[in-house]
Amino acid sequence: MGRVFNVLAALLVSAAVLALFALGYGPVPALGRALDPGHGAWTSAAGGQPAHSQALSLPGLAHPVTVAFTSHGVASIRAADDADAFLALGYLHARFRLTEMDLERRLGEGRVAQLAGPAGLSSDKFELRLGLLRTARAEWAATSRTSPAGQALIAYSRGVNDYLAQASSSGEWPSIYGLTGVYPGRWTPVDSLVLQGVLTQQLDYTTTPLDYAILERTLGPAHTMAWFPVLAPGQHNPYDPGPYKDRGIAPIAPQAGQPVLAATASAGAVKGPVAGPGPGSNRITPQVAAAAAAILAQTDALPAGTIHQYPDSNAWAANGPKVAGAKSMLAGDPHLPQTVPSIWYQIALSAPGLSVTGVSVPGLPGVLIGHNAHIAWSLTDTQNQATLFYTERTSKSRPGQYFWRGAWRRMRQVSYTIPVRGGSAAHLTVDITVHGPVMTQAGQTTSVDWMGNIPSPDLAVMLAVNRAHDFAQFRAALAGWRAPSQNFVYADDQGNIGAISAGYYPLVRHGDPWLPMPGTGADDVAGVIPYASVPQVYDPPRHVVATANQRPAGPSYPYYIGTSANFFDPGYRAGEIYASLQGRSRMHPADFAAVQLSLTDRLAQQIVPPLLAALRGGHLTARQQAAAALLHGWNGAMAQSSAAAALWWTFWGDYLDAVFGPWWKAAKVPVHKDRAGLAVSPQNQVSLDQVLAEWTTADPANSAFSPPGGPHRTAPAVMRSAFATAVAHLGATLHGAPSSWAWGRLHFRQFPSVTQAPALGYGPRASGADPWTVDAADGGLVSHQGPSWRMIVAWPGHGTATGEGVYPGGQSENPASPWYSDQMADWWDGRYLPMPPAGGYAAGPVLWSLRP
Amino acid sequence: MADLRRLGRRGSYRLGRLGAPPPAGKPPAAPHYPAWAPGHRGSAGLWLLACLAAAAFIAVGALVGSWAIPFLAGLAGGVASRHGRWRLRVALPAVVLVAAAGWGAALWWLALRGLPEGAVARVIAALAGLPAQAAVAIAVTLLVAAIQAAAGLWLGRALGPRHPAG
Repeated sequence: MGRVFNVLAALLVSAAVLALFALGYGPVPALGRALDPGHGAWTSAAGGQPAHSQALSLPGLAHPVTVAFTSHGVASIRAADDADAFLALGYLHARFRLTEMDLERRLGEGRVAQLAGPAGLSSDKFELRLGLLRTARAEWAATSRTSPAGQALIAYSRGVNDYLAQASSSGEWPSIYGLTGVYPGRWTPVDSLVLQGVLTQQLDYTTTPLDYAILERTLGPAHTMAWFPVLAPGQHNPYDPGPYKDRGIAPIAPQAGQPVLAATASAGAVKGPVAGPGPGSNRITPQVAAAAAAILAQTDALPAGTIHQYPDSNAWAANGPKVAGAKSMLAGDPHLPQTVPSIWYQIALSAPGLSVTGVSVPGLPGVLIGHNAHIAWSLTDTQNQATLFYTERTSKSRPGQYFWRGAWRRMRQVSYTIPVRGGSAAHLTVDITVHGPVMTQAGQTTSVDWMGNIPSPDLAVMLAVNRAHDFAQFRAALAGWRAPSQNFVYADDQGNIGAISAGYYPLVRHGDPWLPMPGTGADDVAGVIPYASVPQVYDPPRHVVATANQRPAGPSYPYYIGTSANFFDPGYRAGEIYASLQGRSRMHPADFAAVQLSLTDRLAQQIVPPLLAALRGGHLTARQQAAAALLHGWNGAMAQSSAAAALWWTFWGDYLDAVFGPWWKAAKVPVHKDRAGLAVSPQNQVSLDQVLAEWTTADPANSAFSPPGGPHRTAPAVMRSAFATAVAHLGATLHGAPSSWAWGRLHFRQFPSVTQAPALGYGPRASGADPWTVDAADGGLVSHQGPSWRMIVAWPGHGTATGEGVYPGGQSENPASPWYSDQMADWWDGRYLPMPPAGGYAAGPVLWSLRP
Repeated sequence: MADLRRLGRRGSYRLGRLGAPPPAGKPPAAPHYPAWAPGHRGSAGLWLLACLAAAAFIAVGALVGSWAIPFLAGLAGGVASRHGRWRLRVALPAVVLVAAAGWGAALWWLALRGLPEGAVARVIAALAGLPAQAAVAIAVTLLVAAIQAAAGLWLGRALGPRHPAG
């Protein structure tokens, strides 16, 4: 009897162990397969080996292709035609960035939970509801297979799949797949377009109208619009100073709008001048506010950086007397979530008719920022309002319907099944109105009309930009760009410079678009700003053009493009760039580099003098006197070693809180529903930064300084109080003498891993900079957003460019690879690396021969 | 019997001990010494050689992707240990060590070929949410082999031939 029991128990335990190791259980992966030294997660070691010269066979190539690598892994592809060049690019992207590409694809297609388990479900539901996958499919359906974009996508996908086939046959997958046992599926053109959608979402999708709804419901309409006005006070330094021409409204391209937005397509015939929104009809009821809070809760659960939050990118160009040794020069440093690996993969592509070098986005063919043989370009985000919310009229007696333009309409429904690793599949049904997907039915059925949901031929545009020879071709190519709206800055080998803010700027004839609007038809998007009227300049007389996410046009611009709360940068960075460039002539690339690395905070330069004046009018303790002494003579540089910088930053936060905190508290603003959009803190509410700066210098008796129900106060009194609070804060946090309060003891940069594994990231590391310095750092005291690529291109002569660039991280996503973070030190120390020449060849130790 | 040499000496005898000697009782229990391999069959050298061969077999199995070889080796070890009359306290550490050595040898072999196994170990630990130390991932990997082998050993011994005690 005992032996039988023993045999049964042994059988049971053996079966359980084998089943657990073969199949996994819940979040526990199949450990037997995962940790098998020969075929599990360990096989990723092969991808960590230094690259060596070799010959590879890639099915689908028409002709041999050569790929030369620099010592930093920057590849130059030389092919006999475009298709081979893009196939090779797809192969390289997959070989060096497969995990990153696949994670982005999963994010956009709502397949995170399949890899990450139930924790990824909220993100999947949000993305499927918003509709990146639906839009990508519509874009691919509208793309001719024989067009340059169609052929590029097909060839690129083939290159990715060539690598997937290799990995499948060798078993040498990135660790995350060996560990989870969930392997990436074949790559399709739709996947690339989904990645384009993810990037569009990161740059263009905002929840500002929802925050406005909550603020208006709590603070009241008067305070909301006084503190978050459409046009903020102060100098914005627009790059297009005018004069402007009102050309009425352009239709949303019917062929693009129809699959997703039938309503906007029908409004295509609308013409006529619209200087701004009409009188507001938006009533923010408790139901509307509840719906806003419900949607904000969805976005709050998304991974960091998924939707647009921070406004920091720089790009400028100069020509004529401003440059020396070159006809024109261009500098660009787009600021995006900083991760390892980087969002960028540096590349040079060469084929007949195609000679381009710069940075590409893994998952997409082409070069997004860089130069070819004749022109150079870089991008910054335009920051205009591209997301509008509509409250739909529904009835319990008419389930699944909504009222629009005088009749009840049936919502279109799309159903999804979401696989969940370690759990049962989830099901989601999305309702869609003419405005767009219904994001919530909590409180009030609310849909979103987002320009990113309009199929946009971005890839076709970028391929045309990659081939453009002059500004006319450049400008003509950008006419097709819809979302995300971007400021494209330009410089060419003839000595011309310019900028165009290409993209869709939605316009309404009625209602306040910065609030959720009624969805019954009158407030629908009527069209967009005509391309000829979007902000743009060409060879400006001051020989300089600079964009740093500031409002691109001045107050007299005849179109509504967004409010002060829509993340337009306050203009401090733009002001610093213009001041640096206009005050000089005969600049070299090193001078541009110095501006890119500038740590000057112009807001600090504006506010510190009145602060010191206020402090002279009050009694200071010995410690406060020592602290104030730090600010005397400080130049506003947010250097890592600067104690004045730490004092300034802390003061500004306490000052904001001292002025607005009592109002927020009295109005019971539910900050917890969206800290990024509702909390009073530096940079979270750039509008508050601007109005407070304006009051401090021009209106120190503004009624906002006096708290509700409290004593009368003025700016100097509040500044003295906030300064005392700041000194107390720093004393309690950093201890010691004020001179020891270095900014680097408070402020850090961090580069999280795309896998979310903390140990695979970089930092936190003590750093200088803040959101308003040209070398920006966003995201608070542990910054995770900033210059994701620094590039400077000079045009000394016809068809001759010298380019240099660097990004934080490295070309490989494999932490075991020597190319994982080998550029980090150069980026951190402000050094640049030579870019491979457009159409040339990178001199490097490794050469691959790709054969059909 | 009393010792005559001690007669007359202080404390040499006690009342009641001068009669006939008491009946002999049970002999005291022999001291216990652990017997690691009493009476096992075959020479220890051959068994050691078998262990080395098993480790090599497990290593090769891992390199070709047969992750369950440690279980099979444990199973075989269980049957063999019954046949060879090895006690559990000997057989268990042996198969666990052999399994761990097999997978460890596979990792070692890959590292010798120039693959950055240490860096990958750190990555695996980090992705698994464990302390990001190479030793952690290596230890967990070897533990997976060891657990398989232990389960196999149990099953092998349960199914293996029974012998009389000894």
